Amino acid sequence: MRAGAATDIAWQTRPIWRRLGMSSGLAVLALAYLPIVWLMVMSFSARPLSGVPYPLTLEWYLRMAADTRWRAPMVSSIVIAVLVGIACALIGTFVGRGVMRLKRPGWVLGTALLPLFVPGLTIGAALFLFLRLDLGLRLGPWSVALGHVLWALPFALLLVVVMLTRFDRRLIDAARDLGASPYQVFWLVEWPLLRPAIIGAAMFGFFLSFSELPRSLFLRGTSTTMPIFQWAQASDHQSYVPISFALATIIVVVTIPLLAVFFFIAFRPAASRS
Amino acid sequence: MTAVAALEAGRAVPGRSRVRRLIDGYGWLLTLFTAAWAMLLLLPLFLMFVYSFFTTSGFETDYSFSLETWHTLFESGRWRIGTRTLGVAVTVTAIIFVLAFPFALWLSKGCRSNGARTLILTLLTIPFFLETTSRTVIWRAILGTEGVVNTLLGGVGIEPQAWLLYSGFAVNFGMVLLYFPSMVFPIFMSLELVDDQLVGAAEDLGASPLQILRLVILPLALPGIVAGIIFTLVPTMAEFVVPQLLGGFNVNLLGNSINSALSALKYPMAAALSAFVMAVLVILMGLLFIVLRRSRTIMNTFAEIRQ
Repeated sequence: MRAGAATDIAWQTRPIWRRLGMSSGLAVLALAYLPIVWLMVMSFSARPLSGVPYPLTLEWYLRMAADTRWRAPMVSSIVIAVLVGIACALIGTFVGRGVMRLKRPGWVLGTALLPLFVPGLTIGAALFLFLRLDLGLRLGPWSVALGHVLWALPFALLLVVVMLTRFDRRLIDAARDLGASPYQVFWLVEWPLLRPAIIGAAMFGFFLSFSELPRSLFLRGTSTTMPIFQWAQASDHQSYVPISFALATIIVVVTIPLLAVFFFIAFRPAASRS
Repeated sequence: MTAVAALEAGRAVPGRSRVRRLIDGYGWLLTLFTAAWAMLLLLPLFLMFVYSFFTTSGFETDYSFSLETWHTLFESGRWRIGTRTLGVAVTVTAIIFVLAFPFALWLSKGCRSNGARTLILTLLTIPFFLETTSRTVIWRAILGTEGVVNTLLGGVGIEPQAWLLYSGFAVNFGMVLLYFPSMVFPIFMSLELVDDQLVGAAEDLGASPLQILRLVILPLALPGIVAGIIFTLVPTMAEFVVPQLLGGFNVNLLGNSINSALSALKYPMAAALSAFVMAVLVILMGLLFIVLRRSRTIMNTFAEIRQ
């Protein structure tokens, strides 16, 4: 039970507590966004790694448009991310529904959440040794996608499970009593109510995959994704960095509004006080 | 009807049982999923541990049991890299906690505007979905000797500060900014479950703000705090992007060693280093779990009061 803003508790209203908590966090948040903003500014600068943006230029964007090296990684990143999104939505939905029907969901859920406790580089290295050396498979986009599903599914599953805890099971029983087939129960009762969580699961899958580096790095085989490409340019080829900035700017300009709208809508009920 | 009840009902009517179980029971799906998950996660981690007892000669892996790789790990400079990694991970986690806890407290209990709270939660979440390389490498243009900060400092007559980039400071700084949200979120969610009326009751009984924090809020928020610490320690123990891009070659961490061992085809060494990271994390998580267990008694007391 939440008492709401009506009760003014002294420690809440005491200015020093509020100001300290607010300013420390907002300062870190601002610093976390500074590189994103500065990246966008410097992508228009003639000397992108200097301290002053001037003189401005469109050169890097023109060079990026003429360059072909980033196109294949971009395409494979998008394809892999779409597949991971679909996989997360499907597996998340059906495993989530199954888990919630168990008497003790703890064990299955706990196993499913294990990837959250293993660093990306470690699971990438372990999966590489397993798939490449133990099983002798040829790695490629499929193994990258597999690593990404292993990373994104815990989040997708949590979204569906949280949604299901608020789901009234009697609706399914009622639909069944009225003669609905399992397919009808799913499409007419469960799907409309679970849709936000399922779409959220797909979103998590897509965006976590699209930005994933440590697992992809080892599972890539000979293929390259966008984060691997950007990492290779930043760590080995200093001269390509300006074009990287232009690429990163375009990705950020496309993805941030999408993410912002999605999460603003998703968080509004949770963040609101009556 | 639960899965178990459905199974029992199915058993009572043998003719229908199999089909019904397949559609309704979900047992097969969950078994398949758990088995696949374990095979893709626990088996590779175990085999990685096994790999760490092999050795590399030339570019070939020698598949006979040996402690040589572990011996090399502890003898060579990598041991120093290990302790440095642990130091950086713990420092970064501690700094993030000090910054994140008051912020989460304010966000959950102090912030009065619903719109502001929604906006801040959104802003905290977005970077989690963005690629980290370009966001990190741009700090070179800000912290470098010709970067923004030093240009501004030069404007007021202060000479360039070289320690801002390719230093321990830069690595800690970059990692704090990257993993701040993963600490705020769990703490925020656990604080959301702390009943304001409990806090009000403590206040009515004459507790000072510090006492309320120490005796009421901290114990109740502990699960969130432990989760936040774990979700910060896990990625920082194997971080390689920030140390390589902002540390130059001065601040190599275990993540960089794993990376270079794998590129050099030294699989047993990469496996031993990864196993080492995992072992450190398991020990740290075990310690945190003990802390959580011990505080259960306090939390149970509160639960009883609430009833």
